[in-house]
Amino acid sequence: MKVSFFATLRDITGIKDSERFQAATVEELLNNLCVSYGEKFAAWIWEQGQLSNNIMILVNGRAIHHLNGIQTRLKATDEIAIFPKVAGG
Amino acid sequence: MQFLQPQNISGEKKVLNLTPEKCTGCRTCELACSFKHSQEFRPSASRVSVLTWESSGVSVPMLCLQCDNASCLKVCPTGAIARTESGPITINESRCLKCKMCAVACKMGNVGYDEQTHTMLKCDFCNGDPVCAKFCPSGAIAYEDAVTVNLKKKKVYAEKLMQLLQEGDSECSVG
Amino acid sequence: MFGWIGRLLRVNLTSGKITKLPLNQTEAKAYIGARGLGTKLWYNEVNPAIDPLSPENNLIFATGPLTGTLATSGGRYNVVCKSPLTGTIAASNSGGYWGPELKYAGYDALIIEGKAEQPVYIWIDDDQVEIRDASQLWGKTVFETTDALRLATKDEAKVACIGPAGEKLVKFAGILNDYTRAAGRSGVGAVMGAKNLKAIAVRGTHGVKAADPEGFMAAILRIRQMLKEHPVTGQGLATYGSNILVNIINESGGLPVRNFRDSGKFATADATSGEALTEKYLIRNKGCMGCSISCGRINKVSSGKFKTFGEGPEYETAWGYGADCGIDNLEAIIKANNLCNELGLDTITMAATIACAMELYENGYIKQEDSGGPLNFGNVEAIVALTRQTAYREGFGDQLAEGSYRLAAKYDHPELSMSVKKQELPAYDPRALQGLGLNYATSNRGGCHVRGYLTSPEILGIPEKLDNLATEGKAGWVKTFQDLTAAVDSAGICLFTTFGLGGPEIAEQLKTITGIDYSVEDVLTCGERIWNLERLINLKSGLTQADDCLPPRFFTEPMKVGPNQGQLSKLAEMLPEYYQLRGWDENGKPTEERLKALAI
Repeated sequence: MKVSFFATLRDITGIKDSERFQAATVEELLNNLCVSYGEKFAAWIWEQGQLSNNIMILVNGRAIHHLNGIQTRLKATDEIAIFPKVAGG
Repeated sequence: MQFLQPQNISGEKKVLNLTPEKCTGCRTCELACSFKHSQEFRPSASRVSVLTWESSGVSVPMLCLQCDNASCLKVCPTGAIARTESGPITINESRCLKCKMCAVACKMGNVGYDEQTHTMLKCDFCNGDPVCAKFCPSGAIAYEDAVTVNLKKKKVYAEKLMQLLQEGDSECSVG
Repeated sequence: MFGWIGRLLRVNLTSGKITKLPLNQTEAKAYIGARGLGTKLWYNEVNPAIDPLSPENNLIFATGPLTGTLATSGGRYNVVCKSPLTGTIAASNSGGYWGPELKYAGYDALIIEGKAEQPVYIWIDDDQVEIRDASQLWGKTVFETTDALRLATKDEAKVACIGPAGEKLVKFAGILNDYTRAAGRSGVGAVMGAKNLKAIAVRGTHGVKAADPEGFMAAILRIRQMLKEHPVTGQGLATYGSNILVNIINESGGLPVRNFRDSGKFATADATSGEALTEKYLIRNKGCMGCSISCGRINKVSSGKFKTFGEGPEYETAWGYGADCGIDNLEAIIKANNLCNELGLDTITMAATIACAMELYENGYIKQEDSGGPLNFGNVEAIVALTRQTAYREGFGDQLAEGSYRLAAKYDHPELSMSVKKQELPAYDPRALQGLGLNYATSNRGGCHVRGYLTSPEILGIPEKLDNLATEGKAGWVKTFQDLTAAVDSAGICLFTTFGLGGPEIAEQLKTITGIDYSVEDVLTCGERIWNLERLINLKSGLTQADDCLPPRFFTEPMKVGPNQGQLSKLAEMLPEYYQLRGWDENGKPTEERLKALAI
């Protein structure tokens, strides 16, 4: 699977995307990412044990809000995009 | 035990530290300053001014930096201008003639005169809580400890040396 | 008065007469200021059926009660007139420092009437107002004009002006103030050009008062803190600018590609993103008057054929010259963006009109002899060259200067103009954002995102995440967003603050500055009143329900790629409910009861 990072998250990961992670669910993926990228990354993702309101996660372009949240299941071919909350216009 | 306690904690000198490279030219400081001193949003009566060079994209906030050897104070004929114990040089309105000699004497233009309210315009640190610094969104104006203000700048550059040394250390340990 | 100055300035360019008149306090309270008050002042005196480029079209520069104060991002003003591009009412919003300066000079709004015989500029120095000769300035760029006027008047004067595009009556010419801030959309610059008015320089030394100084300051300290702590207004916009959106809109499958023909995903969008701009070309941030967000980008391309220096590009521009033209060369995009600022063009319509021409060309409807050279999607030289040609109406630029609708109609394919009411759509595909599509169709100034920014809930999750493909409930969201936005635009603060603030904070700022007890409901009612007045003007201009539509492509061509592949716009599912919620009849006309209830 391909995981892409955007905006401020790139400063933490040092890369734009990676194909080295494997996980069965979004939650598992996020936990793996937190292990790799440390506390700063985790601070963006989790807020008191819940997915932070300041993060936006897309699986194949669909926000996980409209899928199964962090329990959304992942396949090897999925593309996951992770954004901090952003806006503009 | 006594020498472990910080001395003179309340009388610690602070200065307005300007970092022009952080200035976005938003002039929030001018709005805050004029409102604090004249209850109006009126940049022309602000004690701080932001000068912008559009052709190079640079903005510089300018205000009185409280000279040690202050011409405004020296030239004042009535002694209305004096240095307060906490640092800033202030103008005693009741003794001020509005002769504007201080405005003439200040080479940097940091003392002005407001025709509409007949007031000299000079930074007074807002009695120890300068609103320009309080509202500055970028940190271009900050109210900081006078003694250590330059250490921050030093630290930015020292950090590069630190990183260089750290890289050297890790190479050694690997090698 | 508090917040408002209480005085208007009227300049008649035909007679040369200059008058100062009191602000009608009842109107100010009901229409707030800027967009709303400007529209009311226009409607009071102008017949909506007039020709937009005739001397009868008043051109109004209006500020709001929060303009020029410590309110959150209170640097805004609006230019109101009838649009030569759309035939609708135009209210074009700009930041910078010019709007506040007009207030400091002692005026809530400036009403310009008639037409000067020769090119002129207006110099407002507090109470002293003069109409001066501008024949030496005619033909000059925005930067040259601004520099020259600061020399001719006062260095600290603020200048709003048109570039060559406004002089040449390009239908989407903008008015630029403080060098790089644009009242960009709907061709307000052409209306200024038609009046032979090159510029307005203003210098003010007076102030704006607050009714409740302590209450205002307390509110402002708290509300500014909210903006600082919000990830968008406190971090994202400052770090990356509005162009932060390229990647998330692209990843969400909402990015229009090649004149919306290949929408859904642009493979190399990241090369045009806010991240790329920040990494390679950002000199530093720029903030409008009193703004804590500072999303402005001072850019520099140091070398090469697109060497340039300026401000921007915003997201809509990076998309327009980027994905919409099939281009991923950020240096060319920055160059074209800076040219638009210097020559006085709206970046969205300019770029989208080039994109339309590219599709007409690829379909063989425009021949190389028409366009003066190859014009395939992806032609980076063309976006820069055609932008310049358009501003001066040279060669093929003369046709582009009419906007995409008139261009496509000329070549018998108006359906290829991606516009609503002849104004080009911005950077979100309405097949992927159903609610935004409804906003596009009903926007009172034609294709526009900042009339009701449904992107915020549909994609970005602010204030909550809605399903972008759902239609249920969207009519209500669109109405609320349109009404609140009208009020925010009229207050004189920046719409970007609403990513971090809501109705209560807008109402509290208005209440403490003006002393009028605005509740959240009052603010929304003012917004609704403004929306209905704009609608009424459009109907009197001759627009009908049939104009509340989208280009046919969105109903017949499913999105080709990306997560929203296969989607079409479901506008018809939402429009009747929207009319009903607005209290309009089935023909989209405001009912007598509704107008009466809103005191219009």
